[in-house]
Amino acid sequence: MPSITKAADKSISSNIGPGMISRYSGPWNTERAAHLLRRTTYGSTISDINETAKLSMEEVVELLLADLPLPEEPINYYYEEDPYVAVGESWIDKKYINGDNPLINARRRSLSGWTIKALLSGGINIREKLTLFWSNHFVVQATVVQDPNFIYHHNDLLRKGALGNFRKLVKDVTLSPAMLRYLNGNQNTKNAPNENFARELFELFTIGKGPLAGAGDYTTFTEEDVSQASKILTGWIDQGYYYRDDNPAGAIYVNSRHDTTSKQLSHRFNRTVVDNDGDNEYATLVDIIFEQEEVSRYICRKLYRWFVYYDIDETVEVQIIEPLAQILRENDYEIKPVLKVLLTSDHFYNICSVGPMIKNPIDFIINLLVQFEISYPEDNLEAYKVWSRMAELFAGFGMNYYEPPNVAGWKAYYQEPLFYRTWITAATLPLRQAYTNAIVSGQAKVRNTVLTMDTLKIISQLDNADDPNELIKGLTSFLFPQPLTENQYTFLKSILIPGLPDFEWTVEYNLHLNDPTNEEIKNAVDLKLRKLLLNMLTMPEYYLS
Amino acid sequence: MKRRNFLRQTSGYIALPTLLRGLPLTAASSPLFSNAIGEDNDKILILIQLIGGNDGLNTIIPLDKYDILGNARSNILIPESQVLKLTQEIRMHPSMQSIKALYDDASMTVLQDVGYPNQNRSHFRSSDIWNSGSPADEIWNTGWIGRYLEDCHPLYPENYPNDTTTDPFALSIGSVVSETCQGTRTNFSLAITDPLSITPLANNTIDQVPDTPYGRELAFLRTTIDQANEYGEVISEAAAKGSDAYGPYPDTGLGEQLKAISLLISGGLKTKIYVASIGGFDTHANQATSGDPTTGNHAELLKELSDAVYALQTDLKSQGLEEKVISMTFSEFGRRIRSNASLGTDHGSAAPMMLFGSCINAGIIGKSPLLPDIPELSDGVPMQYDFRSVYSSILIDWFDIDRSVVTNILGDEFSYIPLVNGCNQTTATEDISLTVNATVHPNPFYAWSTISLESKGEHTRIGLYDSIGHELDLIANRKLSQGPHEIRYDGSHLPSGNYFCRITTATGVKTMSMIKVR
Repeated sequence: MPSITKAADKSISSNIGPGMISRYSGPWNTERAAHLLRRTTYGSTISDINETAKLSMEEVVELLLADLPLPEEPINYYYEEDPYVAVGESWIDKKYINGDNPLINARRRSLSGWTIKALLSGGINIREKLTLFWSNHFVVQATVVQDPNFIYHHNDLLRKGALGNFRKLVKDVTLSPAMLRYLNGNQNTKNAPNENFARELFELFTIGKGPLAGAGDYTTFTEEDVSQASKILTGWIDQGYYYRDDNPAGAIYVNSRHDTTSKQLSHRFNRTVVDNDGDNEYATLVDIIFEQEEVSRYICRKLYRWFVYYDIDETVEVQIIEPLAQILRENDYEIKPVLKVLLTSDHFYNICSVGPMIKNPIDFIINLLVQFEISYPEDNLEAYKVWSRMAELFAGFGMNYYEPPNVAGWKAYYQEPLFYRTWITAATLPLRQAYTNAIVSGQAKVRNTVLTMDTLKIISQLDNADDPNELIKGLTSFLFPQPLTENQYTFLKSILIPGLPDFEWTVEYNLHLNDPTNEEIKNAVDLKLRKLLLNMLTMPEYYLS
Repeated sequence: MKRRNFLRQTSGYIALPTLLRGLPLTAASSPLFSNAIGEDNDKILILIQLIGGNDGLNTIIPLDKYDILGNARSNILIPESQVLKLTQEIRMHPSMQSIKALYDDASMTVLQDVGYPNQNRSHFRSSDIWNSGSPADEIWNTGWIGRYLEDCHPLYPENYPNDTTTDPFALSIGSVVSETCQGTRTNFSLAITDPLSITPLANNTIDQVPDTPYGRELAFLRTTIDQANEYGEVISEAAAKGSDAYGPYPDTGLGEQLKAISLLISGGLKTKIYVASIGGFDTHANQATSGDPTTGNHAELLKELSDAVYALQTDLKSQGLEEKVISMTFSEFGRRIRSNASLGTDHGSAAPMMLFGSCINAGIIGKSPLLPDIPELSDGVPMQYDFRSVYSSILIDWFDIDRSVVTNILGDEFSYIPLVNGCNQTTATEDISLTVNATVHPNPFYAWSTISLESKGEHTRIGLYDSIGHELDLIANRKLSQGPHEIRYDGSHLPSGNYFCRITTATGVKTMSMIKVR
């Protein structure tokens, strides 16, 4: 359903002609490459951007959509009292004792640390952003699901399927033990159907809810469909809890819990009858839902909101969503072809698409760390300690990775009219500033590790960094989606070299380049750079992507 | 579905909205209404959102329906011996001992079965409906409080704060702003987590932004930073001056939020609206503990609510501030009459609202819920009151807003409910009567039935609803002359089952059960 925005009174598309989805044919340069990387990855270094600008747009998109090996499994990084898992080893599928909270907490912390590591190591690839996209689509909440193994399993399932087939992913998620528990699918039986999962399967996971067309009829599905689908989905329970020797997460079909009657869907699904087919019925249901074209539009709108912009007006609906949805259907619901077209489209690189996305907290937090090449302890166990601690930042900023506020996900991706603006309030802004201040000033101490950035290494990747104007312009295009105003450049220069002529920077910086081991010179230059960066990174322009 | 765009900004000029059915809201810009809210009105409203859909039937429990409830929800129903007594007919969940004390002190009102026609059972959609105050079939992108505030501050946030308006209009405790306060240009609420630690933010650019999507988001960021800074000072000052004379507040999420609010009120902050929230009411499973329904997730939530509200009221009272503040709970829907096998309840329809304060009309408003003898699986509690009646009555009585302005804010005229009283009530009133004098006969009926009612000469709306709140027929919607009326209704097209006939006038509401048989 097209949305008419309130926050922005003029849409992105208003000054774009036809052919918005056609291949972008303008110049390919560092600005365009940086835009693509900002939207698809959790941060790039200056070198990353320079390297990708040398490739063709298609080659970069190829890299972004490439299948990668999975991250290593999360490990027990400190808890020596774990009776089942030695320190340094994976705890996936390993038993734990219900009620042993220190043990369960140790695994939760490990999972958090592992998640940060995965985000930081995402590289030039879209998978991490897509995994979070799917986590925001197929929501489970850790506090409800409880078992950290289930949460890992769910995330793993989404990461594995991130660039795969949407229909298959819906089927897999239906039997995800975390989902069975989160939406009470495991309590959905023939004698006492529980509608929770069935409702969200329609409303949030596949076809979306249309306008109310009549009593209990939401255009795309009806209350009757919810009730019939919950019967179809009866019989499944989650397996792999604490009581077994091993703890492989999965789903079990129990025939005695299954409703063996014939179920009939509403006219919205051509009154299709699903006869008893035991453990295969859920897949049939998903196939039936996917016969409706609306499924392809619904997911394309969500992808658009995640990768491009929140405002889907009539033009975007017709020129972007509709063609993407068609590509999705033509490719049997494979995700890659859709992303390929979107990320090489004219619309994606149009100046109006560059910069109006407010970075979500995870994007904001991880970006800074990746851009400035923050280093972590070489010892993996020590590094885990740092990462698991850093994961607490997510919750503080309002975006705990495994705890979206509810089954609809984070408000920024559906709540009109604020959308992305939801992230920015008088409560969250100070956190963003405090975080950048701590990192840039080198005062961010996590456990025993101080998170440091090498400012001189950063600017060494820029051309002509000894010219203060070039330095500031170079950092601007590295950090911000769009250029600054002349006043802003002047202001920033006054921070770098207050009241001094330009050549003073050139002199000082060259002194350092010619004598790199001289700590005194190095510190003086470093201090100036930190001051400059502090000012740049607390500018609201940095919150935009 | 119709979509309505309230006031859309066009380069500094506010376009006039078409809020009512065809009636332009010219009042918004006319001086006649710019003082619609008495500037000297210092009343405060605290909204407490119960996120997830509160099970009203296990919160405020109708004693006279125990037979039905015992059959429909035996696994979660609180035993009769354990419930707290409010009136002869009405009981309350045993976790709400401290709220019971407020009731006994004439500081609590229960408004039975609040909802809206054509109940939507999606959390998100229904929350949007409650936050915006829209009809179920229209999407409004502003909040009801936002429209109220915008009515007299149409240019906000331009030039705010200023010499005459120094304090934030609304505060949302937490990290997100409240959708109830969404205006057409911006959200009127400021989100704060801790009023005692507000730090100034860097913002050193005043340059124009380009008129592009990027420019607009940038302008939003800059404005938010400026406002956070300017209002931040005022909030910090109030927090420093204020005290929480009563202590301790319970160490819970809601306890902390209400404590922060009370601190700011005590410090003299002129903010009119505070929004607090407590999540977890989506109790599909384990709402009650197996074998002991007095415990479980729902019991804990109600205790958190109850203890926090009690602390707030006691605190305000001890500081002599109780006559300035009303608190009110709301939730996106109630839950089903039948429980499920997971010791929980699924999304339902209407549910009671609770109001607190010494100036409210303390007692029970409304009848015991109208439950079918044998509820269907999908049946929720039918509504007695429209939530917009609550909003409009609060705006009229608490904030002294002209009735016609309120009608504009809510898009229609809603029955008035006397929620506010003279601040000196000493005992709760057991049955605050708002009823319409009406009967329906025959009932059960086959094809025809007749509604007899005594009109006071008011506009009268009569609708027929099914058990999940869909309005099936609009039987009458017109001004009826004073005196008795008989209105024949042809229900021959209806399948047999339980229905509800709901009559609303400006001064009363009546819901009657109607049973169609063959």
